[in-house]
Amino acid sequence: MATQAELLPGNLDLVILKAISLGDVHGYGVLLRIEQISDGAILVQQGALYPALYRLEHRGLISSTWGTSENNRRAKYYRLTALGEREFRQQRTSWTRLADAIALTLTATPREV
Amino acid sequence: MSGPPGWVTVAGALARVRSWYRSIVHRDSTERAIREEFEQHIALHTARLVQQGVAPDAAAQQARVAFGHAESHRVDARASRGLRWYDQLRVSTLDVKLGLRMLVKHPVISAAAVLALAVGIPVGLAPSHVAAAIEAPLPGDPDHRIRAIRYWDPAAVAVAATSVVEYEYWSRELRSFSALAAFRASTMQVALDEGRPEPLEAAEVSAATFGVLGVVPQHGRALHADDFIIGAAPVVLIGDHVWRTRFASDPAVIGRAIRVGREWTTVVGVMPDGFRFPSYAQLWLPMRLTATQTGRGATVQIVGRLAEGRSVEQAQAELELLAPSLSVDARDAERQARLRPEVVPFGLLFMGLPAGGLDAVPEYYLAQILMLVVLLVACGNVAMLVFAQTATRFKELAVRAALGASRSRIVSQIFAETFLLALISAAAGVFLVDWTLSHVNLAAIGGQTAMPYWLSLRVTPSTVVRAVLLATLSATAAGVLPAIAITGRAVYQHMRGGSGVRFGRLTGVLVVTDIAVAVAAVGLSLAIVRQVTDRQSLATVAGVPAAEIMAVEFRRFDDVPLDSGRTVRTLVAALAAEPGVRGLAVANALPLMEQPSRPIEVARAGAEASGAQEWVRTVAVDIGYFRGLGHTVLRGRDFDRNDLEGQDRHVIVNTAFVTELLGDRDPIGARLRFAARGARDPSAWHEIVGVVPHLGINAVNPERGAAVYLPAALDAIAPLHVALDVGEVPLRMGPRVREIAQAVAPDLYMASPTTLSEYRQGDWYLVLGLGAGLTALALVLVALAASGLFAMLSLTVTERTRELGIRAALGASPRTLVWTVLRRSVRQIGLGAALGLPLAAYFVSTVVGESSASPLWALLIATGVACGIVLIVAAVSCAVPMRRVLAIEASIAMRAEA
Repeated sequence: MATQAELLPGNLDLVILKAISLGDVHGYGVLLRIEQISDGAILVQQGALYPALYRLEHRGLISSTWGTSENNRRAKYYRLTALGEREFRQQRTSWTRLADAIALTLTATPREV
Repeated sequence: MSGPPGWVTVAGALARVRSWYRSIVHRDSTERAIREEFEQHIALHTARLVQQGVAPDAAAQQARVAFGHAESHRVDARASRGLRWYDQLRVSTLDVKLGLRMLVKHPVISAAAVLALAVGIPVGLAPSHVAAAIEAPLPGDPDHRIRAIRYWDPAAVAVAATSVVEYEYWSRELRSFSALAAFRASTMQVALDEGRPEPLEAAEVSAATFGVLGVVPQHGRALHADDFIIGAAPVVLIGDHVWRTRFASDPAVIGRAIRVGREWTTVVGVMPDGFRFPSYAQLWLPMRLTATQTGRGATVQIVGRLAEGRSVEQAQAELELLAPSLSVDARDAERQARLRPEVVPFGLLFMGLPAGGLDAVPEYYLAQILMLVVLLVACGNVAMLVFAQTATRFKELAVRAALGASRSRIVSQIFAETFLLALISAAAGVFLVDWTLSHVNLAAIGGQTAMPYWLSLRVTPSTVVRAVLLATLSATAAGVLPAIAITGRAVYQHMRGGSGVRFGRLTGVLVVTDIAVAVAAVGLSLAIVRQVTDRQSLATVAGVPAAEIMAVEFRRFDDVPLDSGRTVRTLVAALAAEPGVRGLAVANALPLMEQPSRPIEVARAGAEASGAQEWVRTVAVDIGYFRGLGHTVLRGRDFDRNDLEGQDRHVIVNTAFVTELLGDRDPIGARLRFAARGARDPSAWHEIVGVVPHLGINAVNPERGAAVYLPAALDAIAPLHVALDVGEVPLRMGPRVREIAQAVAPDLYMASPTTLSEYRQGDWYLVLGLGAGLTALALVLVALAASGLFAMLSLTVTERTRELGIRAALGASPRTLVWTVLRRSVRQIGLGAALGLPLAAYFVSTVVGESSASPLWALLIATGVACGIVLIVAAVSCAVPMRRVLAIEASIAMRAEA
């Protein structure tokens, strides 16, 4: 397991959108998928997940439908909307650009100055 | 940088709206879904932990701990949908239950608050209710398809006459109306047999009238086309009231002859109960237009039924397009250009109001402001009561705050309680007003024999909606403000063991304002009532020997300008030639009567107009009016025949006009013209040719106010009031005048003659009603001030029970203790009275006049009455808690502290 990293404020939405973009998933599944794809580096507070999900749904970035979960109970499944896909692409591009810029900055050597 | 494409913004907005809709409208199912989702989450996590080898019970517990406080997550979840404010301000059934409990728990305070708002809310509603009643559809016309068509004179701010010419032209040309009807109301001399005739309200109607109104007789037949032919046998329809009271509901009345005017007329039908079109009529005759009518023909009023699918706006547009082609000559064309044809609700035609209804009348706004001030004062006092009531609940509020209730949640709860109180008050007030209106004869109060049949002041659904709206606003003003004040520091101080609330400056200001307003209102009302009673006994009014002048009104039956003009001239000449008549004056309003106000613009001689508008009273007078009242022109000249016939327009003004509008500069040669807001063209300039003394131009204060006298031909003076200077015992001339009138002008209805000092007609009732209304208002204000004081004092005593108890136990005298409590209130009452007195003096001097001896007398009484009532209430409100305080023992007081 990789060393855990703390999420920067505002990045939780991006991570959730990524998890949902990989396929329809219920709330608990979002948590597990983030854990899985980040190799355990990102652990989302369980309670914090739902306000974020509802906020994304309120903004029309994800939609939800009721289905049946693996334990045969009713569960709410989330999927990305067209608006959500667009937002995800934008946020990812923006984040990647920032991450690259910071990485470049941090790897600079005295000779490059 | 460009923003997101349009669809993104729209899609985002739609998603938010959908989310809010679900969360607010389907709140319960949304909440259930959240809980279910949380439970599913915990179940899945538990299952995963069990898979990892944790015992089921421990797994379930760990899963719950890992999830955290579900209720907090739920609140956060709703907040993430932007519903935090909604949740905090939402009124729940629990709030309503708590509100009801508080009402029952504090019955005296609740009763005082309900009383205040039960008065304040109906008073606040009154102006809009009356305005709506005036514009309401005629009975039997729920879709409001019947409308009046009239001319409006913007310069004169008055309805201008329409004639048969317009009626016939509009009937032929207008496509927006399925049918038009013409009518004219008058008073007829009616005799059921050979006995003495009595005046009865009647209406001459055109053939289409009952069809337009959608009314059929309950007995007999309607008017046929043959009935309208000149020379046909005279017929009449009678009203249900006449049928019941004069003919004992005898069905055989059909075919019977009654004498209407000079003709025996056959009754052909009985109209249904309640039908009195156009307003008060009890007889309906076919309108027969005689061949003598030339020019514009007889004056008639016009109503029409809108055609299917046509709107009022379309009808108005069509009417405006037609108007210019109606002129019969050059002078008429000038008149046409000045007038605006209008399609208006029937009530506006009757009341002579502008097309905008009461909303377009400046005085209406003043009335609205005055009424809203009363409501505001009521709200202020209820705020104090809420403040007092809430102050007794600090413990409860502190516990709720400690358990996590936010300030806005507590405020919304107090709002809910006040809203409940306001709703109960509004319901009680509106119900009471409705009951009163259905049981009190308003017409009698207004000096009329009946109310217009179409005017109903009963409560309507829209009144109820407005009442709920006002209740909401009142609850916001009276509940939210004190709640915000009280949930500030005070609750938290109480949580830390502080002493809670004390009445501060705000409540002090409210009490002082209440008393000041009450004193001012009492002063004003008493002064007006006194002034009215003074005037009743005055023999000489504004230089006119009113007790020696006989006054009488003549009403036209056959409203034909040319004929009636000749008739009136003959009558006036005959009266003037009568031995014993020293002078004769004819005008549309005599001294002491209310004269209409009109806005004017003044230009001094040789100078340009300033553009400023002034309101003055106007009177249309006959040549010789001033001489007839025993006065001569002070400066310039009197009117002569040329003023009626020449092209130039001349006016005479009174001395108050010269002082107030011209600053005592030379008035002769100065000009004025009538103007109005919204008028397209002001009227032509009128030159001032003379100045007369103040001859009394209003009912309340005849000595004050600027007046403009316009010369008018006898046939243009309406209503026609005649003043006869006949020396002492003027009424002895009454029978002789009636003889002359019957001989010379049998078609004119003559009202009962009286002396000018008693000649008030509706004006006196108007002033009396105003005085009575103001007195009632003043009493309400005093009662409101008293209720506020009650709340403040009872809470003060309760709050200081321990302190006062200790003082009493340590030997303080009862007098000292009472003074300790009352000191602040007495100061506030004194301050309120001191502030109210100049206000009352200002009102009295403005409305009533400085010259009268009444104001000082009225002011002293006002102050005494208002302060006395308030002090009595103050004493009563202190009595119960003070008795408790005086009976307390030191040991008990000390124990209370522990």
